[in-house]
Amino acid sequence: MAARFRTVRVFLMRLVVCLFAVIACIRNSPAADLTIEFNRDIRPILSDRCLHCHGTDATAKGISLRLDSEAAAVADLGEGRRAVAPGDPASSEMVRRITATDEALRMPPAYSGLQLTPGEIDRIRTWIAQGAKWQSHWSFIAPKRRPLPAVKDGTWPRNAIDYFILERLQQEGLSPSPEASRETLARRVSLDLTGLPPTPAEIDAFLKDTSPNAYERVVDRLLASPRYGERMAARWLDAARYADSNGYQYDGERVMWRWRDWVIDAFNRNQPFDQFTLEQIAGDLLPHATLEQRIATGFNRNHRANTEDGIIPEEYAVEYVVDRVETTSTVFLGLTLGCARCHNHKYDPFSQKEFYQIFAYFNNVPELGRAMKYGNSPPLVPAPTLEQQQKLKVLENQIQAVEEFLKQHGPSIEKAQNAWECEIAQHNELRYWAPHAGLEAAFPFDSEPETPNPGGALPLVPGRISRAASFDGSAFFDAGEIAGFDIEDRFTLTAWVYSETTPDGSIVTRMVDEPKGRGYGVHLNQGKVHVNLTSVWEDDAIRLETEEGLAPRQWHHLAVTYSGSRMAEGVRVFMDGQPAKVKVQLDTLYRPFRNAGKAFKDPLRIGSGWGPERRFRGLIDDVRIYGRILNPEEISALACGESLNEMARKPAGQRSQIEQSQLRWAFLENAAPAQIQEAWKRLVAIGQEKEKLERTFPTVMVMAERPTSRDTFLLVRGAYDKPGDRVTPGVPSVLPPLRAGVPNNRLGFAKWLIDPQNPLTARVTVNRFWQMFFGTGLVKTTEDFGLQGEWPSHLELLDWLATEFIRSGWDVKAIQKLMLMSATYRQSSKATPDLLQKDPENRLLARAPRFRLPAEIVRDQALFAAGLLVERIGGPSVKPYQPAGLWEELTMQGLNYEQSKGPDLYRRSLYTFWKRTVAPPMMANFDSAMRESCVVRETRTNTPLQALNLMNDVTFLEAARSIGQRMVKEGGSSATSRLRYGFRLVAGRAPSAADEQILRKNLQYHLDYFSDHADQVKAFLAQGEAAVDSNLNPPELAAYASVASLLLNLDEAVTKQ
Amino acid sequence: MDPIQEQKLLLTRRSFFSSSAGLGITALATLFSKDAQAGTGLPGLPHFAPKAKRVIYLFQHGAPSQLDLFDYKPQLQSQHGKDLPESVRMGQRLTGMTAYQSNFPTANSIFRFNQHGQSGTWLSELLPCTGKVADDLCLVKSMRTEAINHDPAVTFFQTGFQLAGRPSIGAWIAYGLGSENQDLPAFVVMVSQGSGSSQALADRQWGSGFLPTKYQGVKFRSGSDPVLYLSNPVGYSTLARRRFLDDLARLNDLQLKDYQDPEIATRIAQYEMAFRMQSSVPELADLSKEPEAVFEMYGPDSRKPGSYAANCILARRLAERGVRFIQLFHRGWDQHNNLPKEIRGQCLQTDQPSAALIQDLKQRGMLGDTLVIWSGEFGRTVYSQGALTEDNYGRDHHPRCFSLWMAGGGIKGGITYGETDDFSYNIVKNPTDVHDLHATIMHCLGIDHTKLTYKFQGRHFRLTDVQGNVLRPILV
Repeated sequence: MAARFRTVRVFLMRLVVCLFAVIACIRNSPAADLTIEFNRDIRPILSDRCLHCHGTDATAKGISLRLDSEAAAVADLGEGRRAVAPGDPASSEMVRRITATDEALRMPPAYSGLQLTPGEIDRIRTWIAQGAKWQSHWSFIAPKRRPLPAVKDGTWPRNAIDYFILERLQQEGLSPSPEASRETLARRVSLDLTGLPPTPAEIDAFLKDTSPNAYERVVDRLLASPRYGERMAARWLDAARYADSNGYQYDGERVMWRWRDWVIDAFNRNQPFDQFTLEQIAGDLLPHATLEQRIATGFNRNHRANTEDGIIPEEYAVEYVVDRVETTSTVFLGLTLGCARCHNHKYDPFSQKEFYQIFAYFNNVPELGRAMKYGNSPPLVPAPTLEQQQKLKVLENQIQAVEEFLKQHGPSIEKAQNAWECEIAQHNELRYWAPHAGLEAAFPFDSEPETPNPGGALPLVPGRISRAASFDGSAFFDAGEIAGFDIEDRFTLTAWVYSETTPDGSIVTRMVDEPKGRGYGVHLNQGKVHVNLTSVWEDDAIRLETEEGLAPRQWHHLAVTYSGSRMAEGVRVFMDGQPAKVKVQLDTLYRPFRNAGKAFKDPLRIGSGWGPERRFRGLIDDVRIYGRILNPEEISALACGESLNEMARKPAGQRSQIEQSQLRWAFLENAAPAQIQEAWKRLVAIGQEKEKLERTFPTVMVMAERPTSRDTFLLVRGAYDKPGDRVTPGVPSVLPPLRAGVPNNRLGFAKWLIDPQNPLTARVTVNRFWQMFFGTGLVKTTEDFGLQGEWPSHLELLDWLATEFIRSGWDVKAIQKLMLMSATYRQSSKATPDLLQKDPENRLLARAPRFRLPAEIVRDQALFAAGLLVERIGGPSVKPYQPAGLWEELTMQGLNYEQSKGPDLYRRSLYTFWKRTVAPPMMANFDSAMRESCVVRETRTNTPLQALNLMNDVTFLEAARSIGQRMVKEGGSSATSRLRYGFRLVAGRAPSAADEQILRKNLQYHLDYFSDHADQVKAFLAQGEAAVDSNLNPPELAAYASVASLLLNLDEAVTKQ
Repeated sequence: MDPIQEQKLLLTRRSFFSSSAGLGITALATLFSKDAQAGTGLPGLPHFAPKAKRVIYLFQHGAPSQLDLFDYKPQLQSQHGKDLPESVRMGQRLTGMTAYQSNFPTANSIFRFNQHGQSGTWLSELLPCTGKVADDLCLVKSMRTEAINHDPAVTFFQTGFQLAGRPSIGAWIAYGLGSENQDLPAFVVMVSQGSGSSQALADRQWGSGFLPTKYQGVKFRSGSDPVLYLSNPVGYSTLARRRFLDDLARLNDLQLKDYQDPEIATRIAQYEMAFRMQSSVPELADLSKEPEAVFEMYGPDSRKPGSYAANCILARRLAERGVRFIQLFHRGWDQHNNLPKEIRGQCLQTDQPSAALIQDLKQRGMLGDTLVIWSGEFGRTVYSQGALTEDNYGRDHHPRCFSLWMAGGGIKGGITYGETDDFSYNIVKNPTDVHDLHATIMHCLGIDHTKLTYKFQGRHFRLTDVQGNVLRPILV
């Protein structure tokens, strides 16, 4: 230990010495030699220290001086005073005030807590002396493609990037580092492009490849790997604040993985970035939008959604739109537009009005302010996977084939049916037709029940069809625990009802028998049909009633269908076969009837529900319950209430359409020639299978437009309940306008984002790619390209890349390949004291970047090296190991973590279920974006919790054991060869002699340790669910597992170097 | 400014700061290691001499009823069962849970109130132990918040903003002041389960928002792993772990020599810190050596690991070890229904331990420099949610006024601050915002809340946003 710290100390001492050398050197270069460039040197000072008061909203604050434009800064302030007098610092009021010794006069004022350093004051003075040249903010001007700079060492650059990098290095008196070893490069580029390390075999192949384009072949192979899409998607999910839960309170599950899989696929097929953008922002508005294009719009539905009881929906509806504006502007424009929500932007030239103009583009979604507690909130679409789509196609083809068959036999069917009709017309025994498919129960009330009805005596009297049950206002029919539908089930309830007075009372219910009880029910209220679906009255319920009522003293047919949509629009009421107009009274059904362990015991009741007061008085006949939605034709047939015999007796020309259909269906079902009956049965069966398949389709929340557009108002101080002036959609005036002919809606906005004239989108995007590979963006503030953003380290390079990106047709793989093929990228990442001194953050790139891997790669790499990783693209999110109790401690409603089993424990981390309120702890420990809101900047810390995580988390212990197992089984027979093998699996290089020596001793220590602690070996090896090879010697395996754990904890194992 | 130029200037400026003796090793290590421990705070902090060195924040999660605990309203007796006068309610917004209620029957608390101590502070019979320390408490009766639902309200209390994304108060303090103990995190959180209706919590309530993650609260849990992944695997001894770490450091050191990346040195140091935590945390969490008298003081629950009472003892132990910000969350205070029964259960769990903590700190001479806060996220309505019966009622969320108490660390004891109207519905004197509370906490810690800022998305953020006034009248 002591030795180690001594090394660090020696190293630091060396730095001290160098530091003084550098300081001496810098001191000797007078600052006045520098030409001040406004955008680089002055604007950041003005923005950070002055514009808070002297910015766009200065006038509103009663401040007369503005420093956000040249005209204002040099304007006459009266009595000949000017804030900035170009060329004349001495008579510039600004200089006078920032250098004032009187605290009452000095700017910035003391109370602001802001200060100017002597260097900054100096710079302002020099700038004014040099003429106070003003520039527009760099990122609001379209990028210019400048010719490649001349460099002294023409042999080093491999592509355009290197010219820009080298030019700057030369200016700073630095030279590039030598190229990294092939082993290092192979691991670096493999991690960067696929998020997984190379296998020893892949490294060997690269080492042996003597062709001049050996490296390029590696890059091409990795770009073509399906793992590439997964790696790229991980960062996009951070930006898009993707998660598997809603984010507030209960934090119930949502289903957005079809969108996530769309992203992976888009990267893998190298969808051009402009199209990628267009589809995510406005795919639904494209002409003939495909399912995939609609799924893409899930991007802007990934925001958190509040489901808490008692929230004020309007308040959150505003938050969702704000989130869309903030996310979209951060991701595509690198702008912090959210700052203009409550007031004009303090730093950037965006007014509050302009914020709401962009808001207006996203404010027209038919959505709920209070979202669904569980599952997706509308608007949503069923989003079958490719596999499901194929299955559906097969069924559709089969249906088509059977229909074709029946059509071919049309004439013969016609003939046979005529004969059959003549026959049944003669029959006296009446026969009725009703749909069979999906029938759960039917209560014809034609004969006395076999067992006594627990609900009391119900006399059978002549009814609508044969006999009916007579209800006296107290007895009801108890049908038992059937038809236990819940809020996501489809069902249909039908009945005939009759009453001497205006029909009133409950008809068919499965609910707690009390007013406002939990469950579902169809009731009559002074003739009007009421439908209730209640979880908790009235926060959590659907209730609607028909506009018209049923009349007394006549039989009425009643049918109610429900689509399982959890929305009132999913309920349809039919009165006498006709769709009824309804008034929706409650439309906030969020929770299943059987939630929170409140098991549902009440039976299905006919003539009762909603408490004893509401029992029905009158006749009920032929109640039918279906576990599917009957179509309107089927309902018409039921409501027709006529026997087949009667229909057959009518001449064909006098029959109604529905009578014709019924006869046809009855014939096909029961009387047609065997071959035809067979085909008909098959048709019905396939139809049911198709419906069943459709019910398994995942849904995905998408963007959609309301039929009539909603007005948008500026919200005073950003508050949902303080609307100000009405605004129309529009883009900020400081940026180019929408192109002529483009619609002024979300689609137009999307097209504006990807317009080559837009100065931001391409720059912001290539900058993020750069950040992914080089650790820091050329603009370090990847989220802020505004005035407060950081000046680019290499503006001309950024602009060159942006123009190249557009020129290439927004070819993502091509621009990334360019970065990875550069000599800059291929350098060694070894630093020198001199480089650390001059460029500790490595912004000049005189060496390759070296930084800790993102959270998901740390885990994926361990699983991969262990041979445990299960590679399967897409699908529902999975729940790998996590310490017990984490969800239970914080959540409610019994939402517990049910750990996955088998292969799902070993999927790549981007498939790990992301619960927003309790994020996966390992991901949180390793600085993952938290998915609450958009995050585009990659951050990295170095903490003791990470050390504990890597040492003691079952994920890494199980991986270590599996690597240990591989070392013994695949690493040859000697300890040395096994150690080398394990080292290569994890670190991607052969160990040095010094490494080996330490590892050998460590192995020996652990061999001794586990033979001394033989009784502990079994427990030590019992980590995770993966099998332990029983053929191996347990103490030996434990020792190798320990060494493997050591390897996984190496700094270089979690670092890209 | 150009990042490289900035670096040059930084070096130049440092040369001014450093005396002829040159830069110390520590300064250099900080300069070159971006991830120095949370141990060191910011230069220039505290801004002035602090009264409190640390904070213990007892968060009562779910919003306890001020009407049944602190805000004595004898006038309500005559109003019991009557509709809340419109002149009081004045059409203020209600949650969606009672907004459609047909009437708003005033519910007098069924609990008796008594005066306590020299100060004569009125407290409900549910808080007999708190009554014994009444003279140490500053009862603030005029708190108000902007949020009306739990998640945003807790987020507001924790981060000064209703929507997620900003750093929690503990993270701000850790960022500003660092830790006094290099073997423990600066910000520790413990959660206990109540007996009443619970609301959901979220890890982000103690998150670091846009501050580096090292400032986030570290959750201590009961059981074998007080900190996630703390324990070595079964069968692996401390001695073996020591050897493991020595060899790990040797290998990392080889890499450090080769690559010269200061991050490697930091990582070596973090592993050492992890190792120290492996002994310091279990030692801290092990209450077995606490004397019998302590358990008696904190009550019977205190022997149950993970209980609020046990967490209160742990809070004191953390405070003794220099942890800067200790926050307990006790769930179960969301009494929409069955308030009388549920709140009694909640108080049985919390009254004695909360008071014991004050006494304990006082006995140890630590109350003077430890700021203790007891608060929920909002108050509850004077009118009953649901039916009002003789012995039962519920109360909905009420953001317009509620009570909390503070003690120790720079706060005057035995005083009451602020007043509400006869219905505990509106504030009539000294309205106090959450930002004011934050400003005051920071002030006690020697921080000028307007000056502790962090630049993110181009803006200098602070916990109190653009607001916050220090509550001078309650300061010592």
